[in-house]
Amino acid sequence: MNPLSEQHILKSRNQIKSIVLLGITTFVLALFAMGQGPYEKLDIWTTAKMIFGFETPTSTEHSIIWRIRFPRILMAIVGGVALATAGALMQGCLGNPLVSPLTLGVASGAALGAAVAIMLGLSVIGGPLAIIGNAFLFALIVVFIIIQLGSTHSVSAESYILVGIAITFIAGAITSVLNYFATDEQVSQLMHWSFGSLGRVDRDTALFLTIPVVFLVPLALKWSWDLNALSVGGDEFAISTGVNPAGFRKIVLVLSALLTALVISFTGLIGFVGLAAPHMARVIVGNDFRKLIPSSAIFGAFLMLFADTLGRTLFAPIIIPVGVMLSVIGGPFFMYLLIRSKGR
Amino acid sequence: MVLANIITVKNLRFGYPKNEVLKGIDLTLHDNELVCLLGVNGAGKSTLLKCILGILKHQSGTISYGNVAQAINVGDGNTSSESISSEDLDPMQMARYMSYVPQSVKSSFSIDVYDTIMLGRRPYIGWSISELDREIVSKTIEFLNLEDFAFRKFNQLSGGERQRVIIGKAIAQSPRVFVLDEPTSDLDLKNQIQVMKKLKILVSDENSPKGALVAIHDINMAARFADRILLMSDGEIIAVGAPRDVLTPENIQKVFRVTSDVIESQEDNRFWIHVKDEIDGELDDKHVIWEHQNNENEG
Repeated sequence: MNPLSEQHILKSRNQIKSIVLLGITTFVLALFAMGQGPYEKLDIWTTAKMIFGFETPTSTEHSIIWRIRFPRILMAIVGGVALATAGALMQGCLGNPLVSPLTLGVASGAALGAAVAIMLGLSVIGGPLAIIGNAFLFALIVVFIIIQLGSTHSVSAESYILVGIAITFIAGAITSVLNYFATDEQVSQLMHWSFGSLGRVDRDTALFLTIPVVFLVPLALKWSWDLNALSVGGDEFAISTGVNPAGFRKIVLVLSALLTALVISFTGLIGFVGLAAPHMARVIVGNDFRKLIPSSAIFGAFLMLFADTLGRTLFAPIIIPVGVMLSVIGGPFFMYLLIRSKGR
Repeated sequence: MVLANIITVKNLRFGYPKNEVLKGIDLTLHDNELVCLLGVNGAGKSTLLKCILGILKHQSGTISYGNVAQAINVGDGNTSSESISSEDLDPMQMARYMSYVPQSVKSSFSIDVYDTIMLGRRPYIGWSISELDREIVSKTIEFLNLEDFAFRKFNQLSGGERQRVIIGKAIAQSPRVFVLDEPTSDLDLKNQIQVMKKLKILVSDENSPKGALVAIHDINMAARFADRILLMSDGEIIAVGAPRDVLTPENIQKVFRVTSDVIESQEDNRFWIHVKDEIDGELDDKHVIWEHQNNENEG
């Protein structure tokens, strides 16, 4: 075989090894997290044995592991994978490293929806799901605006970003007005929603959210070649390799926005993962989307698990919301990685 | 031997509101032929290439791709003798038929040079890279002498190196037609000659028929390597033919507004164009104005 081909295969294998290693680390972290909590602290080995059925847990242990911790851990993984994949996809198809799942204004839409439910008492569905339902509906409106924008003639990557910024400003302004006239209690309720927490998600919701994520990640992998062409050479270069940039961009953005909307409606605002996880993955595997997407997804899950576990244990029994924790510990770590990778 | 038309353009028009760029272009490209497109900035060369590639949608006229069905194995046998227009082809089929080297690429994230050239195989790849794809990419890298930076990041390369990588991508695409927009603009002298020579080798291979349409500024490169030259001015083709017939001092003066001599080489059957001076002399006047302004500022 040609020595260049051999070198290419070797490099590719090494990258896959790093991804597998990252996956194993994340899995171990998930097991560890299952054992952590204010009550029934278990070591990682015991937790593993209980989960895989080698040891029978007591009924208290069983219900704490499966009813309280499992939904939380699952949601951390699903949310992390979803937001990080969406972030990688959006950065790739808009050709911009500053883009995150929140750039298109989905989050501001969701926050406005939540504010309307809390402050005006208006909601599409009543009961305990009022805030979540509204957040999702308003996020969908933003997705609809993106679809409309994508259907207009020759829309560029920049126009998506600019419209996203405009939506963020408009929705933010209306939310501020609502905040201004709200009672203290309502303001604190909205504040609480916007922190971004995994505690509100029950097992069925977490399982339900797993379904679209399981579909999206393979789809995203299938798009890798198109994303590579677009991000390496821009629109015209991509056309010459058989991509239809306008159509492709629209589908990718709509699906990423939908997924983001689904996750943050339930959890509240978690922005950092979608921006940082793809960049962290880039440091390890580079920008080839065939490897970048799986490693971003795993990094997303890892970051969420790490931040949430730390948030639950650091000042136990007080729980610091994952969104806050992520920015506090993830921010500096992210900066460290960026500086280190630039230095090489 | 009758050579097949692989690109036929008839009465092609393209324009923006208030600005007609292409005013009825006719051209043909055959197998085993390297055609150079010459003309001043803004003559419409790049626009013409983009229309042929389907990047820009022309307003009237036809572009047909002869024997496409045969070339890319999509036909049922009956269609192979008919020419096919851009509407009949999906982007992937177009990409197997034509490969493109744009004037510049807008790179936001970059991958290894090897993987960048691999993008030329994208129209053939399902998802995973086959041994054949890898072999083609490795051979292309050797063919263009890119081994030294095959595993470096694309955006860490110099302008000329990047241009050669993009040419590599176009070659790895194994197209029937190369469409190259100023492929030598960033290259040093040696690499300019090397790239044109290699392109000529690819196009001249009679076992795998191909053609190339190259927009270029260097008239001596065109004179040396082109089988035919299209001289373009203000959205129209004003002369077509063999380099010797098209590159006359009269034509060059008309299109480029410069005076020139044709010089015959003693040792081989080549000729080159010695460009002497511009004929409008605008620069002298502007120079005077600029000096004048400087004096005013000093005063």
